Amino acid sequence: MAKDVKPTRKNLMAIEDRIDLSTRGHSTLEKKRDGLIMEFMDILDQAQDVRSDLDDAYTDAQRNINMARAMDGDVAVRGAAAALKEHPEITTRSKNIMGVVVPEIESSKVKKSLDQRGYGVVGTSARIDEAAEAYEELLEQVILAAEVETAMKKMLEEIETTKRRVNALEFKLLPELHDAQEFIEQKLEEQEREEIFRMKKIKAKKEAEEAEEALVEDDEEVKYETVTADD
Amino acid sequence: MSARGEASNYEYVTARAKSRRAALFDADDYRKLVRMGPGEIARFMEESEYEAEMNALGARYSGVDLIEYALNRNLAKHFNDLLRFAEGKLYDYIARYLRKFDAWNVKTVIRGLYAGSERQEIEDDLIRAGELPERTVDRLLEADSIEAVVELLDGTIFGDSLAAAYEDYEETGVLVPLENAVDRAYYRLLLADVPAEPDRATRLYVEFLEAEIDFRNMRNALRLARSGADIDPAEYYIPGGPLFSAGELQALVNNPDQLVEAIRSSTYGDDLDKALNDLDAAGSLIEFELALERALLEYSSQLSNRYPLSVCPVLAYILAKEREVDNIRAIARGKEAGLSADEIEEELVVQ
Repeated sequence: MAKDVKPTRKNLMAIEDRIDLSTRGHSTLEKKRDGLIMEFMDILDQAQDVRSDLDDAYTDAQRNINMARAMDGDVAVRGAAAALKEHPEITTRSKNIMGVVVPEIESSKVKKSLDQRGYGVVGTSARIDEAAEAYEELLEQVILAAEVETAMKKMLEEIETTKRRVNALEFKLLPELHDAQEFIEQKLEEQEREEIFRMKKIKAKKEAEEAEEALVEDDEEVKYETVTADD
Repeated sequence: MSARGEASNYEYVTARAKSRRAALFDADDYRKLVRMGPGEIARFMEESEYEAEMNALGARYSGVDLIEYALNRNLAKHFNDLLRFAEGKLYDYIARYLRKFDAWNVKTVIRGLYAGSERQEIEDDLIRAGELPERTVDRLLEADSIEAVVELLDGTIFGDSLAAAYEDYEETGVLVPLENAVDRAYYRLLLADVPAEPDRATRLYVEFLEAEIDFRNMRNALRLARSGADIDPAEYYIPGGPLFSAGELQALVNNPDQLVEAIRSSTYGDDLDKALNDLDAAGSLIEFELALERALLEYSSQLSNRYPLSVCPVLAYILAKEREVDNIRAIARGKEAGLSADEIEEELVVQ
């Protein structure tokens, strides 16, 4: 890059401005990256807890539905599940963590009481209740995990982007700008030296010419004086 | 199947029921089954009483589904045989208990229509062991809306209850009112028209049905007490059981401890004492429900031995057959889900 830059004072000033801006940007991005990492560590702890709860809820739900299918029969469990068409509702909002927009998921109608599950109370058993309850719990955990893990993924992407930007500034842009600055400075110094040399040369030439002129004038004066003597 | 005016043929039906009961799987068979995989269980069934159903359904289903559908079909065949054998009052006594399968079929059709299932899917889940004629069940399957089902059932034991609950269903959009209406219609007729002064055997049969109603009320009350749902007891309370009135039940549902104490101090207290202690300790209703089933099975068995020429042996056979189907299904599904032999054995109810 350095060799593509015209070594002018104007470019040098522009590059110095860019170096200043990039240095400040680098420092800000570094702070942002560190802040994001700290936030990410908090979310990571939360995500690990949520994932562990999700695993437990899944195991529990599977055990309950297996027991319900075993004791009441697959047909009864499917029948009870078919008795409700209404789906849980999910609303999403967004919140901002250090410039990263992460979702906030709110669910409603996931946990239901016995009378809201659609199947009749009289003809069903506690096993079906327990399977339904375990799946409601699992669904809540899935929604929570979706919220936390999406936030975690978005934070990770942002950390990755910020890290790339910091690295690009630190290892690519700033070194290139410094190279260009150095190149221009060297070129300008060289030009300055050439200029001085040229000036010196011109000055010497001028002095030599002046000396020659002075010599010619002296010779003419001598000649004139000689003629006068002859006269 | 026979008209109600005819004399009952207790000797014939009880002899058939007893011989069939003797052919049911015993504790040794269950011990073998819990140590088999689903494939081996299917093979075992192919060489047993269930051979015809396993072969008939083998082309359509496989694995544990095949076992479950074969069990249901076999159950229906045996119970239809009982209704076919029975005459007179005996037919009525058997039919009033087996109408629970009519209730099951009506609920299955309604659920299928509600969920938009295919006709074949709904038909597969029916257990044709009740009293409704095949033609009526087929017409129910052809219905294209829940309203049409309600209209088709007009004139049956479910007609009035369903018609009354249909408005609630339209208002709420959930099946609870219809399902409760079907089940309550079944339980209401369980004790309808029993003789004012029954003989000793019939009285014990009625006591058994009352116990069934009490147990159903007990388990529903406990489920509601745990769920915390605010439901009017009129929606699920089944009248006829001597243990609770609707008012008592409503008061007890709001106080689970008192409810448990009320059951403990009732006539069923001795039979259910251990289950109630487990319920207090573990908080799970499942063990309690199993204890209720064990108590009912035990009770029916005692009646069967005490009054061999009455409806009691037939009832004992019906319960034992249902339990066999439940046990085999539990073993097959439990094995499919990877449960251990010990875990499965805990869930079995074996006499």
